[in-house]
Parts: sequence; C-alpha cells; structure tokens
Amino acid sequence: MRRLTFFLRFFLWFSGRHLRRHLGRALVVLFGIALGAAVFTSVRLSVHASLHSFSRSMDFFAGTAEKVLVRPGGYVPEGVLPVLLAHPAVKDFSPLLTTFVRVYPPQGSSFLLIGIDPLLDQSFRKWRIRGDREKTAERWLDLIREPYTVILTEPLARELGTVSGARLKLEHARRTAEFRVAGILIPEGLALVEGERVALTDIATFQELTGLYGLVDRIDLTFKPKTSPLDIEDLARKLPDELELRSPSAARDSGTAMIRAYQLNLSVLSFASLFVGMFLVYSLVALNAASRRRELAILRAVGASPRLLFNLFLAEGALFGLCGWLLAIPLSSLLVRYLLHSVSQTISTLFVRVQVEGLVLSPWEILVSFAVTLCISIAAAFQPAREAMGVSPKEAMEIAQTGVRRRRSVRRLAAWAVGCILLCVPLSLMPGIGGVPLPGYLAILLLFVGFALLAPWMLERVGRALSPVLQRFAGMPAYLAGRYLRDSGARTSISVGALITAVALFTALVIMIHSFRQTVELWVQQTVSGDLFVTTKMGQVNRFRFPIPEPIVAGLSQLDVDADLVPSRRFQMTYGDFPYEFEVMGMETFLKHGGFVWMKGDPETARPLLLRGEGLLVSEVFANRTGLGIGDMFRAQIEGSRIEIPVAGIIRDYRTDGGVVFYSWKQFRQRFYDPQWSGVRFYFRDRTRDIDAQTTGLRDTLIARWGDRLDMISGKELRNGVLKIFDETFAITTVLLLIALAVASLGITTTLTVLVLERTRQLNTLFAVGASFGQIRSMICWEAGFLVVAGEMAGLACGFVLSYMLVYVINRQSFGWTFLYTVDWGTLALSFPLIVLAALVAALPAVRTAFREPPAALLRER
Amino acid sequence: MNSNSIEPVIHARKLSRTYPFGDSTVTGINQVDLDIAPGELVVLKGDSGSGKSTLLALLAGLDHPTAGELVVAGHHLSNSAGADLTRFRRKVVGMVFQSFNLLPTLNLLENVCLPALLAGKPAEAARAKALELLDWLGLKSRLKHDPAQLSGGEMQRTAIARALINDPALILADEPTGNLDSRNGRVVIDLLAELNRSSGRTVLIATHSNLADSLAHRCIRLRDGALTDPTCDG
Ligand SMILES: Nc1ncnc2c1ncn2[C@@H]1O[C@H](COP(=O)(O)OP(=O)(O)OP(=O)(O)O)[C@@H](O)[C@H]1O
Ligand SMILES: [Mg+2]
Repeated sequence: MRRLTFFLRFFLWFSGRHLRRHLGRALVVLFGIALGAAVFTSVRLSVHASLHSFSRSMDFFAGTAEKVLVRPGGYVPEGVLPVLLAHPAVKDFSPLLTTFVRVYPPQGSSFLLIGIDPLLDQSFRKWRIRGDREKTAERWLDLIREPYTVILTEPLARELGTVSGARLKLEHARRTAEFRVAGILIPEGLALVEGERVALTDIATFQELTGLYGLVDRIDLTFKPKTSPLDIEDLARKLPDELELRSPSAARDSGTAMIRAYQLNLSVLSFASLFVGMFLVYSLVALNAASRRRELAILRAVGASPRLLFNLFLAEGALFGLCGWLLAIPLSSLLVRYLLHSVSQTISTLFVRVQVEGLVLSPWEILVSFAVTLCISIAAAFQPAREAMGVSPKEAMEIAQTGVRRRRSVRRLAAWAVGCILLCVPLSLMPGIGGVPLPGYLAILLLFVGFALLAPWMLERVGRALSPVLQRFAGMPAYLAGRYLRDSGARTSISVGALITAVALFTALVIMIHSFRQTVELWVQQTVSGDLFVTTKMGQVNRFRFPIPEPIVAGLSQLDVDADLVPSRRFQMTYGDFPYEFEVMGMETFLKHGGFVWMKGDPETARPLLLRGEGLLVSEVFANRTGLGIGDMFRAQIEGSRIEIPVAGIIRDYRTDGGVVFYSWKQFRQRFYDPQWSGVRFYFRDRTRDIDAQTTGLRDTLIARWGDRLDMISGKELRNGVLKIFDETFAITTVLLLIALAVASLGITTTLTVLVLERTRQLNTLFAVGASFGQIRSMICWEAGFLVVAGEMAGLACGFVLSYMLVYVINRQSFGWTFLYTVDWGTLALSFPLIVLAALVAALPAVRTAFREPPAALLRER
Repeated sequence: MNSNSIEPVIHARKLSRTYPFGDSTVTGINQVDLDIAPGELVVLKGDSGSGKSTLLALLAGLDHPTAGELVVAGHHLSNSAGADLTRFRRKVVGMVFQSFNLLPTLNLLENVCLPALLAGKPAEAARAKALELLDWLGLKSRLKHDPAQLSGGEMQRTAIARALINDPALILADEPTGNLDSRNGRVVIDLLAELNRSSGRTVLIATHSNLADSLAHRCIRLRDGALTDPTCDG
C-alpha cells in the first residue's frame, strides 16, 4: 500500500508535472485516442443494439416451442394437424402465419400481422390484452368469436391513431379488408417483437385475408416430458417428406451469427482509428522517455530501480488510456446517435430485418471498450518503457548531450519487416474461422507492422540517396533535412509508420468501396435491368412470397403494350444452414435484354443449358458458402418437388448477404409445377422512344386496372434505390475512414511538433552558427516533406496490398463476395494534398514554438 | 573621443538585459559600459550567475538587450533584427560553447563546413577551408567520425574550427574549458590565444578558470550583472 502511494505520488511529480508543462501535446494525443475509442465504442454499441433487439424479438417470437415444423420455400398444409394430434410425443402445437400489411388508405410503413389460434397459442407465447383481468369476459376470445378482429400493440395503435373498438382497414397483397380493433396488447412477450409494431389476428381471418386457405407458415411444437430424440424421429417419419422439423433457435442463431460477424467487421474497421491513436500514444511516451533520458539516468544514480522507471512510463500510457476513454464517453454518445440508425438499416438490408428501439448499454460492451482502450495505450507505452528501463546511471555523468542513440540495426528491422509482409501470403490463403476471416485480419495487422518496420530502412535509403543531390540542387536546408532523416532512426519512423497506416487504410478502403460500387453498378445495369417492375402489394417487404393472383397474371400477359415480360418467382430457402433465394425467371427474354455479371463459366456454353433447363446459375456467395462449383449437382426440395440440376455458371449478385440461384421459369413449370408469378418486369421493345414516357404510360394503365393489388417501381428508381442503399451502407465506412485520417493527421501534427521541439538545442546551434530563420524553416519544411512523401508512397504501396486482401480475402470470407478490382485514382490523389497540408499546417507553428525561447538559451544548457 | 583612436569592435553603453519573472524581473546584466578594441584578448570573469553568458549572448546577436546601446563591428545590434542579425552571426562572430553543441547527425567535417554552407559558400571552398583548419587542429584523421565518437577536447577543437570557418573578426567563447580537464583546457585556451596573436582576431573568453589570465591583454569582471574594477585575480 505504501509502495503504491509512493508510486502514485512519484508519478505525479515526475510524469504528471511534465505532462502538464507540455499540455498541448498531451491534449492532442488524448483527443486522438479518445476519438479512436469513441468510434470503436459507438460502433460496437450500435451493432449491439441491433443484435439485442433482433435476438429479443426472435426469442419472444419463438416462445416455448421445442421444434418448428416448416415446408422449405412454401407453406405447411393444415392437413398434418391430425398427425400431430395423434402422435404420443406431442404435447402442444400452435400453427402460425405472418405477413406485412399496411392500413388503407396507405399511411406510415407496413407492420407485421401475426395469425394465430389464440387458444392453441396460449402455451407458447406470452401476450395479454390490457384490462382483460378485470372483466369476466376475456376479450381475446373476440378473436375467435368474431372474424376480422385485430389486437394491436400500444405504440402501433398510437401511430395509427386508433383505439380499442375502432375500425381499421388493412391492405394486403390480395385484398383490403376492414377490421375491428378488439384490444390493445400489454407491452410484454409477443408485443415486443418487431420494435413493437405488430398486430394479432385469428388464423382463420388471416387465411381469408391472404388467400392461404388451409396453409400455415409453420407449426410450433412442444413435447411431453421424457420425449427422446427417437420419438421425434418417429414423428418426422410420419409426416410428409417435404416437411422439416427445425430447431426454433435456428433462425435466431443464423441471424445473430450474421450480425456478430458484421459487428466484428465494423469493430476491426473502427479499431483502425484506435490503432492510429496507439501510434500517437507511442510517439509521445517515446519522446518523453528519450528527451528525459538524462533525468532518468540521474534517477537511477540516486537509487531508482529499473522497474520503477518502467512502471512510470507504463503508467503514463495507462493514464492516456484512462483519460482517453473517459473523454470518449461524451464523444461516443454523439456518434452513436448517427450510427444507431444507419447500422440497423445496413443490417436490415444486408442480413436480417431489425427494428432498433434505442441504445442498450451493455456492461459487457462497455467493459470491452474500456479494456481495449486501456490495453492499446499500455501496449503503446511498453517499448518506450523498456527503453527507459535500460538507461544506465552512468549516463548521468556524461557531459556532452549528443543524444545517446542506440540504433537498432536498420537492416535487421527491414528483415523482420519483409518476414511480416511475406507471412501475409499464407495467412490470406487460409480459410476463415467460423465464417470470420481471423487469419485475414491477422495478415492485415502483420502488413501494417511490416510496413512500419520497413520505414527506418526506407528513410535511410531515401536520405542517403537524396542528400547529395539535394545539396546541389535544393541548397543547404534540404541537405540538412535529408541528413537528419537518415539518422533519426526509429523515432521518425514510428510517425511515418502511423502515416503509412492511415494512408494505407485510406487507399485500401477507397479502392475497395470504389470497386464494390463499380461492380454493383454493373450488376444493377445487367441483372436489375428492366423498365418497370411489378409485384404484389407489399411484395418487397414480404420477400415476394405471395404470387400475383391468376386473373391479374392473365390480364398482364394480354396487355396491349410494346414490351417483353419477364416473370419471376422467388423462394426463400436454406442450403444446410445457409439461407438463399431460389429464383425462377423468364430466362430467354431476360437474357435478351439484360444479363448476369459472370464470375466463372462461359456465358456462351451456359446459355443453351439455361434455356433448356439443364443448368442453373448460382451466385458467387452461394458457391463460396456451399462449395458448389460448375458442373456440381444442385439439389433442393421446393415445396413438393425434388430438384436436381447441375450448376452451369457462377455469377455476381449483391442483393443480400445470402445466396441466389437462378433457373428458367418455363423449364421449372414444365419439369416441376407452376411456380406462378410473384413479380414481373417489363422491357420496352422500342428503345428509340422515350423510355420514361413509356414507363409512365404503362404505369398509369396498370394502376387504373389493378392499382389496389399491385406495387410497381420503375427500373430507374429501383436501380437508383439500390445504389442509394449502397452509399448509405458505406457512409458508415466513410465516416470511420475520415476519422482514421483525422487521427493520422493529428499524428503528423504531433510528430512534426515533437521532431522540432526535441531538437530545440540543435536548431539553436544552427541559428548560432549562422543559419537564418528562413533556412531553418525551410529545413523543417523539407523534413516534413520527406516524411510525408515517404509515408504517402509506402502507404500507397501498403494500401494496394491491403485492398487486395480486403476484396479477395476479407470480403470473400465474411460476406462471400468479391468485386471487379478497379482503382479510383482521382480520390486517391486527393489524400496527398490533404496530408501534405496537414503536415505543413503542423510544421510551421512548431518552428515558432521552437524559437519561443531566444537562442541564447543555448548558452545556459549544460 | 579622440578621432585618431581606432573604432572599438565592441561598444556597449548602458547595456541591460532583464528577464521578466512573474510580476518582478530578474537582472541578467545591468547598465554595462564596455569597449573592446580590435585585436584584444579579453577574459570575462565573474561568479556564477553574474551575467557572463547573458552578455555573450547579446554580443553574439543571439539575444536582444532590454535597454542600452550595442555596436559590434559596426553593426548596431540594439536595433537590428532578422536578416541583419543572420548576416552578422555568419560574418562577424564565431562562437564556442561550454557544451560544444555539435550537431549529432553530422560528422566532424560536415559540422565544421556547416556555417560556410549556410552562408552560401560553394561546397568545395568550404571543404578546403575546413580541411585546412582541421589539419591545423590535429583532427585530420577523424574527419568522418560522428561527434559522439570524439573526446571532449576533440569536440571543443572541432567547435573552434567551426567558429573559424567564416573568418570572423570576433571570437566569443563561453566557458570553453568548463567541460574539459586542465590539459585539454590549456590546449583550447592556447588555440584561442594563437588565433588572437597570429591573425589579430578579437577574442572574448568568459571563464571561471585562471588558465587564460596570463595570456589576456585585459580582464573584466561582472558582479550581479554590473562591471566592476578590472582586475584578473581574486
Ligand atoms: N532565460 C532566463 N530567464 C530568467 N533568468 C535568467 C535567464 N537567463 C539568465 N537569467 C538570470 O540572469 C542571471 C545571469 O545569468 P548568466 O547565465 O548570464 O550567468 P553566468 O555568469 O553565465 O553564470 P555561470 O557562470 O553559472 O554560467 C542569473 O541570475 C540568471 O538567473
Ligand atoms: Mg554562463
């Protein structure tokens, strides 16, 4: 205890006062690390909020079910209910249907309508109507007694401006019907699903509204005590083949796994800012250790142990971590506000639908952010602390402070660097672990470390090669700058390392986002081609599950327009645990107007196979996730049909994180059954006439005839929408990127300031032997220029390697997709003036600070 | 003043330099009147804190007086600034410091050449001159060495070479022997005296030691920032 109080007091004396004297520097570093920590924390908290609301929603929704009976790609017929009723192992069961509906006339966004049998459901899910207990007649019975009644959650009722007993028109794919609000749900259990935007209705009413007579989405089951897996197998055997008994947590688990993987990706990205912040802490602690070497020697001479010195500097790092984290809290609360919404939106478009109610302060997440920030700062202080520990008391007796420079062999560092960089190759080739590209992330870390270690060698080379040339052509200041950099050793190279990291990150992300966007644009032009897309009402939000009614299909086919029609139907499927969409489409017409973005396989040979129905196309994501390649047999059970078709080609598709499989609609109908249309797109044949006008004309016709039953969107709007979602998704990345760059320019600022300040004595000497102020200023500018150019060059090189890893390793392993590699030179070039500017803005005030004391101070130094 | 008398190299009247310290001020030097003629070798004595370094800094153009008049080799230092001062430092004075102040990243030869190069002299000429000086100082075999590899005496001789490279008329040395043993100190003082004798340069040495007393033409003494009666001993 006494030792600790002594240490704290001594720390305040020795380090605290020093930091206070150089407060500006300390504050810049603090701000840098706080910014890094804030980004890291707020990103994690935002994803956590989505994760929390998703898994909570899924849990309430799953209720107490032990197994769930489904029919992949379709509906479970109620005909199986007698089998369940008769089976000795089954205790309870409850059929269930869900869909998204909207009030009519349209107002607000759609919400989830759940169809249940209120009696059977009692033992599965918790839901109660407000005021039920006081009355003798429980109002939920109204659901059964009276058709077309709904129960709403309170927020939904408020949003729709309705109350218990009022009437409400609900609109669905097939029709619109009037409901009576039978009650309001108490906010618990099922009422908390989907961000509390749900309505309950009786299953019979639901089926009538949607036309799904005798069909349900799924049947939840519980078993009697002491039911063995064998009993469940027996039940499975008694059920029709195309039905599957699934674990109720399967959907939740795959969803949470996806969100977690996304959280890891964003964490890694946001960690970059912290990583750059780490360089900042390192450079300041290293400066303090180096510039106070003599003091350290004196301390040692008067009896301080090496351990004490080590702890002093480690504590300095810890102080930065602690204060940085505390400062990060208010910063995070600002950032989180922006991130919360965009993160949940991204998760909803890419993975699973989430509705975030608000921020959830998870103690675990807070602990993680605290621990990571603290560890990073302590780790950053580790090396300078080791250095401080090695100061010998003898140095206190040395008079000439030429600066003891124990330079580690630059070549040896370079050898390590090459080793690190080479190690990236095997690591990038390794598969991810559990869907997470851990070896890839490790490779990225090694890449950064490698380039940072290479920096001293590089600076030495540049300095050596340039200084004679510079002396001749650029004069003395440039020469001195070159000489200084050549010999400055590890100190400068750390700052260059930080710069390399930030530039590399900038380069790599710019390339990645640009490539991604170019590829998506191409995909949108090709695969999302078409002039007008038509689907059932709310087809999009209901994932195109409901077919367009027959009479409308007949009407659409006979429409008098000069356009080709490409009908399609999508089935939501899983391959093992991996969710994908099986889409059948009018292949021949589609290929005539649009096309696929091919990855593997030859479009010319695949085309006839596709048209004859002897082949299908799988998306890159699907191929990567399932390992299915060209020529392999694709097998699936879709509703009643068993499908076995070889893969004819692999194409790029970016509609979701899941996979897609394309097959010919015509051939599907011939070989299996009539898949009907869940959507249709129109291509105008006459491309010379104004497409917009034709689209509007067609739209008007369709609205006039089936406006209440169909949703439609022009191809242009749809494509723009896709690109807009893309841009919104990457807005987060861009923000993170800009913050990393900001932290890096803080780094350049401190580095240059420090480089100048720690040489006050040398600069004064230069001044005393006849250098003019201008010469010194131009020397510093040359130094800044060298650092920036070297950092920028190496950063670009590192960034190109990194971009390859991001596109071909990280994206492939975490999302399953890659892109066509393209470089956005324009934006890349932008980073250069940005950083040069930051460097100059930093360098010039530093010179002024260096000469704040008159050079006469030189005569007073010993 | 007699018009025949030669113009002094150093001419100071009521020269003062005070440092602000909180609300009060600390005196560096106070109302100093000083004339030093060309070719003189003067020793500046005084207790620690008496203002020797302060005075030298003013004479070298490294600092500005707070009051008084100062003319060094015809340059009015009390009211010149910037480019003038730079030219003055390059051409007129050579400085030698107690702690040598060699630049650690330059080798010995480069350190010596530096002022000439800063002054814009051609590299070849600077190099030739530096070699000549270093030869004279017995450092010819150490040209490529870093300062850290030299002894204190060698460093101080290098610093003297550096002070001489631009052929200054005035050499200012602040405790040049302070960090040296007596033998090396002797060598350095002898070198400074030799410079004074052979080429008639004016030399001003601020020192505690008595090494230079016998060689000096004149001794001046500072006490609490003011000049007192000029005697060398005591
Ligand atoms: N930058 C400064 N700020 C405040 N006071 C100063 C400063 N420089 C010098 N002084 C004060 O001016 C006085 C003269 O200092 P100076 O360094 O000139 O003495 P000195 O004679 O050179 O001493 P020494 O023999 O120890 O080198 C001292 O009292 C000192 O405290
Ligand atoms: Mg002094």
